[in-house]
Amino acid sequence: MVIPKHILGTFDEALGALRNDLLMMAGLAERSLDRAINGLLQRDDDLCANAIADDEEIDQLEKQIDKDGFEILVRYQPVASDLRRVISAMKLSPNIERVADQATNIAKRARKLNRHPPLPEVQLIVPIQAHALSMFKDSIDAFVREDVELARAVVSRDQQLDDMKRSANRQLTERMVQDRDQLRGYLNLILISRCLERVGDHATNIAEDAVYAAAAEDIRHQTLTAVV
Amino acid sequence: MLTQVMPQPQVVEDRDRAAIPPSDAEAESLPMAVQAKNVSMWYGAKRAVDNVTMDIPAKAVTAIIGPSGCGKSTFIRALNRMHELVPHTRVEGTVLLNGENLYSSDVDPAIVRRRVGMVFQKSNPFPTMSIGENVIVGLRLNGVRDRKFLNEHLEKSLRMAALWDEVKDDLHKSGTSLSGGQQQRLCIARALAVEPEVILMDEPCSALDPIATAKIEELIQDLKKHYTIVIVTHNMQQAGRVSDFTAFLYMGRLIEFGATTKIFTNPGQKQTEDYITGRFG
Repeated sequence: MVIPKHILGTFDEALGALRNDLLMMAGLAERSLDRAINGLLQRDDDLCANAIADDEEIDQLEKQIDKDGFEILVRYQPVASDLRRVISAMKLSPNIERVADQATNIAKRARKLNRHPPLPEVQLIVPIQAHALSMFKDSIDAFVREDVELARAVVSRDQQLDDMKRSANRQLTERMVQDRDQLRGYLNLILISRCLERVGDHATNIAEDAVYAAAAEDIRHQTLTAVV
Repeated sequence: MLTQVMPQPQVVEDRDRAAIPPSDAEAESLPMAVQAKNVSMWYGAKRAVDNVTMDIPAKAVTAIIGPSGCGKSTFIRALNRMHELVPHTRVEGTVLLNGENLYSSDVDPAIVRRRVGMVFQKSNPFPTMSIGENVIVGLRLNGVRDRKFLNEHLEKSLRMAALWDEVKDDLHKSGTSLSGGQQQRLCIARALAVEPEVILMDEPCSALDPIATAKIEELIQDLKKHYTIVIVTHNMQQAGRVSDFTAFLYMGRLIEFGATTKIFTNPGQKQTEDYITGRFG
């Protein structure tokens, strides 16, 4: 659906700037997450350092989005779909910032792991990160394209991510019992899987806000059956 | 009866809806003060209002919004037959005030206008009258001569219009000596003095500064405990602040009517959305 422009061009510009900042922030968070995971899988400290460095810019964008949003509220007093978009954007940015924080956590733990001999169990993280990353990307896409169905699908995928994390943690805990020398390494992998599970939670929050922005429907705190 | 001298407003369960606006579902259960059914209005050959059916809940604020020339002011004039003062106007349809047809042949338009008071865009106190006389002029015209009764209503009306404290020592001064905001509240006091059931407000704050506007809006919140209020406004934020229900008119037609929160967060009609978000081309 083509959304007609506002009569007031500066309002469109302000909404456009907010949207661009949000997209930039989401793009950086995605890159940071990607770098952190690759830093882990490729045992590359530089990638980890880059992931950590990204966080500062993402933090600044979170503040900028708040500023953009407040300015739009003060100057243009948006209503209806405009209001929902602005409010949702302001709610999205802390979730994106938390995703970036998880990327930083993963990168820091990856650097610790990189100081020790490689653990083959790191492969257990691969499907979890793929699932979490796709949830995050889709949640942002759903918001940008106002795709309610995609957003609902993201929410429904969170349970699968939780199951994947639980399964990986079970295997890693067993390995901890069998190989006490690598206790610290397995613990770091467990904590990384938890970071990725949190990414899924933030993607779920983003998807819920995407549904609200597009359809004015509050699907938070509902059973999965009701959401889907 | 519309022909009696001093009708009393219907007693409807009093509740303060200022804090929690009613939902659409709640609106359906509210008693209706005014029911407009298939109302169309013409200025000569030009149709200004086109088949509007709208139930206006009692003791609530209903805002009517829409672009200039959409028929907002014309429509509310049909609710107290004020349009009849303009030559070549014609109305079709019915308007019920608490169930009574305002357009019955035996109904006196003067009585209708007392039961359905009106406040206009530009404050219009009678320039040759004092503040006090302005307030009680409606009662005087209705034949009330009892000094005590008049004085009581003078104070009561000014208090209800939140003006008493500002003018109690200057009641003899000209109404036009007041500021714009005070003049508008004086006009509201004048409308209140005859104890109407409904107050129609046609852009009552459009000529006022933000402080005077806030005072009128605060007053509206107080008044709705006792009166049904219909306000025409071009100010979307004002409609959002003061009203419980909002009606959107476009080209004489009622496009949407609903709880204000719903209209301003998720309107049901694209035309409403385009108008309130400023996308009307």
